[in-house]
Amino acid sequence: MTEKKEYRGSIHQRQKDLMLAWYAQLDQAANTGNPPTVTMMVSGNCVELLEGFGAIPIYPEVNALQLAIRHQSLDPILAAEELGYAADNCAYVKADIGCILKGITPTDGKLPTPTLILCNFVGCNTYLKWFEHLAKLQNAPLYVIDVPFMRADHPTRFDVEYVVKQLQETVKKLEQLTGRKFDHDRFRQAVDCSRRSEELWSQIKHLARRTPSPFDAYFDAITLMGPLYVYRARPEGVEFFEAALAELQAKSDAGHGVYEKEHFRLVMEGPPPYPYFRTFRDMFAKWQACAVASTYSTVGGLWEFGFRHDPDHPFESVAMHMIEQNVTNRSLLQRYEQLRRYVEEWNADGLVIHFVKSCRLFSAGQGDMRDYFTKQLGVPTLYIESDLEDPRYFGEAQTRTRIDAFFESLEHAKATASVRVGA
Amino acid sequence: MRIAAGVDVGSTQTKAVIMSDNGGVNILARSLVDTGANVQRAAERAFDQCCEQAALHASDVGFVVGTGYGRYKIAFGNTQMTEITCHAKGAAFLCPGTRTVIDMGGQDSKAISVGTSGEVIDFVMNDKCAAGTGRFLANSAEVMGISLDEIGPLSLQAKYPVRIATVCTVFVESDILSYLAQGKTAEDILGGVHLAIAKRTLSLARRLNIEPEITMTGGVARNIGMVRALEEVLGRKVQVSPDAQFIGAVGAALFALEKLDQSFESGIWRGDHAVTGGH
Repeated sequence: MTEKKEYRGSIHQRQKDLMLAWYAQLDQAANTGNPPTVTMMVSGNCVELLEGFGAIPIYPEVNALQLAIRHQSLDPILAAEELGYAADNCAYVKADIGCILKGITPTDGKLPTPTLILCNFVGCNTYLKWFEHLAKLQNAPLYVIDVPFMRADHPTRFDVEYVVKQLQETVKKLEQLTGRKFDHDRFRQAVDCSRRSEELWSQIKHLARRTPSPFDAYFDAITLMGPLYVYRARPEGVEFFEAALAELQAKSDAGHGVYEKEHFRLVMEGPPPYPYFRTFRDMFAKWQACAVASTYSTVGGLWEFGFRHDPDHPFESVAMHMIEQNVTNRSLLQRYEQLRRYVEEWNADGLVIHFVKSCRLFSAGQGDMRDYFTKQLGVPTLYIESDLEDPRYFGEAQTRTRIDAFFESLEHAKATASVRVGA
Repeated sequence: MRIAAGVDVGSTQTKAVIMSDNGGVNILARSLVDTGANVQRAAERAFDQCCEQAALHASDVGFVVGTGYGRYKIAFGNTQMTEITCHAKGAAFLCPGTRTVIDMGGQDSKAISVGTSGEVIDFVMNDKCAAGTGRFLANSAEVMGISLDEIGPLSLQAKYPVRIATVCTVFVESDILSYLAQGKTAEDILGGVHLAIAKRTLSLARRLNIEPEITMTGGVARNIGMVRALEEVLGRKVQVSPDAQFIGAVGAALFALEKLDQSFESGIWRGDHAVTGGH
């Protein structure tokens, strides 16, 4: 069996500590009502705004995936289905609703009733109904920020103004709900912290362009994504990403990769099957295949191509992040372009698309995506299907066969290419 | 003379093939057993029967490649490869000029684009649903009380094939019962069943560039009705080898022969990587 060299530096433990500290704060909020909490969607989140109130985020998707990775997602999913949610509803939604029905949390601690449910829906309109249901079940106030979808290469001035106005209304709403005055300086500092965290995160992502890549930009990147969503606007986040960059830079400078020998370099599209995360990772590790880039790690924000939050234009840059700089609010053609750049600039051998059965919204165009990469660009592409949260959709033997066949084919292509080059 | 074997442990049947290379490559023996519940035992039985037919001792076989869903359960196998890679290899050997393989097995169906040396260029598989597979046909045959061997020839006698709307392997039974109640003939119903699967397979294969020659592999290739239905929807001739059912095992045996050829191993195929990682 191929020896796996998973990223298990000090950063891994620091990440764990940070996330546990977050859950401890949520537990404290549940017990004391302090700090204020705001339920938000991970993608295009405006966590900087919350800092202006000393409030912290609750991310239902993070709670759901934590359960799935521990093989505990089916019970809450079934509870939601018993209530009437359909088999093909988003499994994140069902897991989250089921958790509330059954009082399940990802840790031993409690989760608070949020001060506000902020539906910052970007791209995924399922959130509108999801958060409406949450508001009803939790008896919490709901505010919806309507973020225009990316219809062209860039948002218009009116798109940005529209979102800025809604952010300012959110501020007023939160002032009423928390009884606290919005701290503009703290907001600006938070935006500046985000700028610094994003710069560091972007540098980490660019380390994966080296051969070998010092980390897996899919499986290991997921470990780093928690702090990105919860802490990027705080000094702890900046410190975390400074340490992560230093550690991975040192690893790369020493010539160390994820595996003894990096045999294949991949770009990954779509979230992982969290209920079989370990099994799925091992299927790639067997072939010493390292993900060098992934779209999933840009769900919360797309920073490797240059965008940063701007403390001189805090509201506008938060709005820009929500509209343009996260993968879920971008058009399918922009997703193609993002993937194409990854394949070319990160020097990948192939693309892996993971189709999520219960996510019609983001999986719907992936058949065409596969065609574009195989037929128009000639990029070897593997298409696999399961789910990000529901364990019932994962066929281990089928998935393994597809992955093995893909690598057998890549192996052959590489071998014949080297013979041709050598001849 | 180099002697090697391929064992293809499928969901329904297990196939073994022994091949030799003595300047020319030949199939020495082939065997077929039902897979049943004990996958490991099925692989052993198929291999033993094959050795017996070839009048060989197991130790005469220099290398064994396992393939199919049960490939990791073949205790005596030297390495494993997927049936996708093996079907492409086997089809290119038995039906030279193959560029597209349509493999219909017991529980899955696949379409494979094949390169000039029998390598996989691209492939698609059915998702977690038995529509378009041998199981769909088996269920249809069972509900009509007709043997699996008869349904293909009967379907060719259809005058007005019925329209089977469902692609669900379970619900097709109620569709068939409903047509029987309406007095439709068995031939017309079976004609509809075969066309329904052929159309389903076509939509799968269209995700690839379907280029001739097209070769059908897998157990369902023995069904002449299915071959004709596929030809009808594809608008092209479909090649079928008399060894269609054994093509995965043939491909595996060909890789096994390559493994025994040191000069070849250091050349084009470096499949060493596939040797590791048994599960």
